[in-house]
Amino acid sequence: MSIFHSMNTTASALTSQRLRMDVISSNMANVDTTRGRLVNGEWEPYRRKSVTLKPLEGQFSSFLNVAVGHSSKGQVGNGVKVSRITEDRETPFKLVFDPSHPDADESGYVEMPNVDPLREMVDLISATRSYEANVTVFNANKAMLTKALEIGK
Amino acid sequence: MKYLSLFGGTIQNLENGLAYASVKQKTIAQNIANVDTPNYKSKDVSFAQMFSDAKQSSMAAYRTDTKHFGFKMREYSPGVFSYTNMRYRQNGNGVDMDKEQANLATNQIYYNALIDRVSGKLNSLQTVIKGG
Repeated sequence: MSIFHSMNTTASALTSQRLRMDVISSNMANVDTTRGRLVNGEWEPYRRKSVTLKPLEGQFSSFLNVAVGHSSKGQVGNGVKVSRITEDRETPFKLVFDPSHPDADESGYVEMPNVDPLREMVDLISATRSYEANVTVFNANKAMLTKALEIGK
Repeated sequence: MKYLSLFGGTIQNLENGLAYASVKQKTIAQNIANVDTPNYKSKDVSFAQMFSDAKQSSMAAYRTDTKHFGFKMREYSPGVFSYTNMRYRQNGNGVDMDKEQANLATNQIYYNALIDRVSGKLNSLQTVIKGG
């Protein structure tokens, strides 16, 4: 619980949202990539990636507090972290009829990535707005710290 | 702690208010940071609970001699609780962004007002010391 605790919290969120944005960029950039990965000698299209977030709460001091008998509630927490980046294995690949494509199968269909540009755009806006909200918090916090320096002036 | 009765009363109370406002600021930062975290429940500070928690929340040093200095460790923020049943969005997240932003603005004004009062109090003390 230092002075900069809330700035660190906000910074962790900014990092996470930026990473989310990077992953969305990667999905959008690879919307037509048919050679994402080589599986058993055959090319598999790019799979949509998504970021999973989780609250960052397990710090040493919180474990210590639980160990000495205080309850784990009453902890503010230390922000957010990216727990993992997962590939979407649920959504099927899109099949496009294009016999001249080098990756087309015998019947002339090409498997395209399971990236939906519409969904990516929605996620993109969501990430941008969350980032902006965190910037607002950071500025508010900065204003408060600056104001605290005015005590006694 | 009583240094002088000069600083007692008002400044002490304002200091408690500032402590509350800064914990509140931390919870708002945490809530907004976790606005996209699945199953995260928003947190808040209870002013009343803060004072009851404050008494037992610190770890005091074990003293074997009366000449030892006593000190307390406070790594713990009293009065913070989660709205565990709140479900605001499909992914189980319980953060209401509009409410958090409104709280942020309120808290900032509250904090500024307290700082203003502390400064005012110190200024009037200075006026007394200098004799006008």
